[in-house]
Amino acid sequence: MQSNRLGWILLAPTLTILFFFGVLPFIYVVYVSFHSWNPFAANPEMIFNGADNFRRIVFDEEFLNSVGVTVMFVFFAVLSELILGYILAQAFMKDFPGKSFFRTIHTLPLIMAPIIVGSVWKLMTTPSIGIIPHYLDEWFGISMNIGTSAFAAFTTIVIMDIWHWTPLVTLTLIAALVSLPPDPFEQAQIDGANKRQIFWHITLPMIAPAVVATVFIRLMDALRTVDEVWMLTGGGPGSSTRFVGVHIFKEVFPKTNYGYGSTISVIVLYLTIVACWLLYVTMLAPRNSKEG
Amino acid sequence: MTNLHEEPLTSAHLEEADTPEYVAQKHGFLPIETNWFDRLFISVVIWVALSLFWFRFLEPVGMSIWISNVIAFALTVFIVTKG
Repeated sequence: MQSNRLGWILLAPTLTILFFFGVLPFIYVVYVSFHSWNPFAANPEMIFNGADNFRRIVFDEEFLNSVGVTVMFVFFAVLSELILGYILAQAFMKDFPGKSFFRTIHTLPLIMAPIIVGSVWKLMTTPSIGIIPHYLDEWFGISMNIGTSAFAAFTTIVIMDIWHWTPLVTLTLIAALVSLPPDPFEQAQIDGANKRQIFWHITLPMIAPAVVATVFIRLMDALRTVDEVWMLTGGGPGSSTRFVGVHIFKEVFPKTNYGYGSTISVIVLYLTIVACWLLYVTMLAPRNSKEG
Repeated sequence: MTNLHEEPLTSAHLEEADTPEYVAQKHGFLPIETNWFDRLFISVVIWVALSLFWFRFLEPVGMSIWISNVIAFALTVFIVTKG
């Protein structure tokens, strides 16, 4: 009983902060999502409109399009980061000259603020002054313009995200790989298992919790990407990089439509929770046995 | 002389007090082990999805959202009790 009380006392500061900065704002956003509220309109009052915002959202082509673009972005970015992060983590498990130096360099993007990453990539990709379009044109004859080509803009954002966040995946996977016991690997080698079998039947199941945790973090981050995209393309050209975060930003700030913006936020939170839960269920949740 | 067979029994209630409370896992029709909160969560997720589906496809043809709510409530009761 005493240890229970001590646990609650130790948790109290975190829970208090979570309540005021997590739970209360969430309840407020849900409350606002059932209202029509534009504080800069002729009538700045908050007017209860039931589920009208939710009725509107399912017919909002811009929102549905932004969900599609976001899902595509999350799929390509997170999958690439996971594969690349694992390859780099395996590389860092071996000794090679300059390993420490390379590991430090490789983690540098992590300490950069997303808005700065967006600015740097904007400088690098702006036609006529950017280094990337310049060399793509000089070496391969490819004309790259993220201001006019939807494909170029989307691809650049995916590559930028991979560049920014792969080190995080690498670090977590290194931590997972380092903690693995050597015995199962030795036994598998004695039994004649090849590298692919060892990866699928020993390494992957043993690091699965770390992989899922990493994917959770990246999935949640990628679903609410705003600043890098806002800085690089502003959601354009057209709506090709208008991710849900950017859509909410445009709805809430330039249009000052707080009620509808809150509704979109609630739906995005719902989609994020469902995606994470499905991932947890498919990867980690204990199965129901028929005997039970 | 101490009776060795009685010692574990005399301290059993103390050990029981230290044991963390066990959250009952249920084996229902759902393919995963769940407690009541998991089943409530699954029900809420289905409720929201069904409501959005209803708004998009069935309400425009004249079916009230309350029908969706009744179905979702019945599903919630079923999932929480049998899931």
